[in-house]
Amino acid sequence: MRILVAMSGGVDSSVVAGLLKSQGHEVIGVTMKLWEGPNGEMPETGCCTSADSEDARKVAAKLDIPYYVLDYTASFSENVIDNFVDMYAQGLTPNPCVECNRSVKFDHFIDQAKKLNCEKVATGHYAKIVNNNSTYELHKADYLDKDQSYVLHMLDSQKLENIEFPLGTISKPEVRQIAASLGLKTAFKKDSQDICFVGKKDYRNFVSKRIDVSSKGLIVDKDENEMGTHGGIHAYTIGQRKGVPGGQGEAKYVTKIDVENNKIYIGSKDELTTKKFILDEVTFVNEVEYENLSIQTRYNSEDVPCAIEKIDESTYQIVLKTPTMGVAPGQFGVIYNGTKLVGGGRITSKVLEDVYE
Amino acid sequence: MNRNDYMYLDHAATTPMREVAFEAYKKTEKDAYANSSGGHALSRKAKNILEESREYIASCFGAAPNEITFTSGGTEADNWIIKTPFIDKDTSAELTTTQIEHEAVLASAENVHSKGFNVNFVSCDDEGVTNIDEFEKSINSNTVIASVMYANNETGVVQPIQEMSKIVKDVNPNTLFHSDVVQAVATKKLNFHNLGIESAAISGHKIGGPKGIGVMFLKTGYKIPSFLHGGKQELERRAGTVNVSGVAGLAAALKEQQNNLEKDVELIENEKTIFENNLKENIELRVVGENVERLCHISNIQFKDINSETLMVALDLNGMGVSRGSACASGAQKPSHVLEAMKVDEEVINNHLRFSFGWNTQKGDGEKCAEIVEKTIKELS
Repeated sequence: MRILVAMSGGVDSSVVAGLLKSQGHEVIGVTMKLWEGPNGEMPETGCCTSADSEDARKVAAKLDIPYYVLDYTASFSENVIDNFVDMYAQGLTPNPCVECNRSVKFDHFIDQAKKLNCEKVATGHYAKIVNNNSTYELHKADYLDKDQSYVLHMLDSQKLENIEFPLGTISKPEVRQIAASLGLKTAFKKDSQDICFVGKKDYRNFVSKRIDVSSKGLIVDKDENEMGTHGGIHAYTIGQRKGVPGGQGEAKYVTKIDVENNKIYIGSKDELTTKKFILDEVTFVNEVEYENLSIQTRYNSEDVPCAIEKIDESTYQIVLKTPTMGVAPGQFGVIYNGTKLVGGGRITSKVLEDVYE
Repeated sequence: MNRNDYMYLDHAATTPMREVAFEAYKKTEKDAYANSSGGHALSRKAKNILEESREYIASCFGAAPNEITFTSGGTEADNWIIKTPFIDKDTSAELTTTQIEHEAVLASAENVHSKGFNVNFVSCDDEGVTNIDEFEKSINSNTVIASVMYANNETGVVQPIQEMSKIVKDVNPNTLFHSDVVQAVATKKLNFHNLGIESAAISGHKIGGPKGIGVMFLKTGYKIPSFLHGGKQELERRAGTVNVSGVAGLAAALKEQQNNLEKDVELIENEKTIFENNLKENIELRVVGENVERLCHISNIQFKDINSETLMVALDLNGMGVSRGSACASGAQKPSHVLEAMKVDEEVINNHLRFSFGWNTQKGDGEKCAEIVEKTIKELS
């Protein structure tokens, strides 16, 4: 079949293209150009530098498959960059990679594939799609250390039907081996962890260049005692220790960001633990489930057993079986039943007073 | 790839090499491979090929042989002519060019600007013709160079070169009037002196010659500093061992082109017209520059509601190669600066494709190409 493969220029998607081609599929490679600097320059680090698209182009040439760079910069700027900046301005901790998957990549990509008469799209994500009587389930990758299902939680059964994740059952060393055996120059390329549009620089500079966040404010403890001052709330995220004034030898962490009053709350590690929080913008892969659930509150964080309570169609309260640290509003909470991904949504700073103990 | 397997409609980007050019190139590499500046028999043989080619090439443009310097291509010639005259000038010196130039000129002009010189980028009307009044106003006693392309590489729209040259010379006889004729020479017979062109950039591969060879034409009487320093080749104007086989290939390509130009132009014009008319029957579109003079081989089409990025990919998968403007290193293409200068609506600026025919276009291609485009658009909707 004809398959559109998203090629970032990294080893994973290179191998996906190579594997599918060797299985006899008609593979078309595409690099999604998501971001560029003010003068049209490509990012220096992250998943879509010009060196990366050049790598993808070389791999495509080596594999002898058609290859294109498609421009999604407008959509990315509107849905991801603006959102990233807004969230920091609101004292939230954004996850631009999830946001990109959620509102840019997959929708555009599946749409593009249909136009080009492709039956499926494929990416180099480590996750598994299981066809259970024509209901498509999303599962964690076999090798859990590389599992990326968290960033894919927004894909529902209907979308999954159009997608292939060929790396879900393969380990990273194996992927590199396949790349080497196919003669792909990306075989030993380093993985990228940076946010593509921020790179190795400090995200705070990126944010402060775009909005005025310089207004100084107070840093206080939970009893409103003044502990110091800050130069703008965008520089703080929940759970942050760096740049936080300590107290009597005890490390202090950011526990709450009060945007309205321009205040940063700090406290001890214990004050960071959360038992209940609310997810909004919740989506499910298939139906909602209530049994045997656990949740990841950050990418690749530990699964914490939990129960969920419906508030409305897209808002759920999460009750953790054990209080957990570092649940940051703005990040995503992704709910699993074993290895099966049930659904997920954005962690909010909302509190339901009436359901609090 | 055989031309029957793939419909190549990107001649404005580059053309396939003519068999005669290939033969001339090969023969020179084999029989006259020596350095044309050397002092022995084989060098003299190479030198002879070089100078005979120079004479012939000059004659094709109504130029004298010593007005022709060989370069690596059009980009080098444009860079050389636009940038080097400013090296020894104080910042009162000015440059005038247009907003629709090829990147080779635009980026050179921006480089001049970055050194502190005033550069006028003259606008154009919505058909892509440079605004003459604005152009005239931009020329003054400080203007060192005025650079206007003969015809635009994205739209094919021809500029009023002769008139502009006259304007320049009337205002400031010392201003060098430069024209990037890279795209025009593909299907136009040009006499530089008659047109008032005092310097020009030509590229070999746009007319079926080899890549990596071009011409910098500079009218007798003008002198510009060297761009590449080293040996004293090319009358001490350009250092570097001369690419004699490239020159021979270019001369051979040019000869075949000039001998067939009239009938080639007629055929291309005809096929392009069939292509445009057939498309218009079934698809809502606008042909750029339809009401003004344009080169016969370029058809820049604005589709009413089809994004050309996707269409270009789909056409490629259906066996037809076209482009959205100048080729770009990263692959992704920005909205064209030419269309932006023409103030094309934002809603449709990404709906343009450039179809460009060339010397190996055959009878029936227009109809065949229109069919492929129609079929592809149908599949996309």
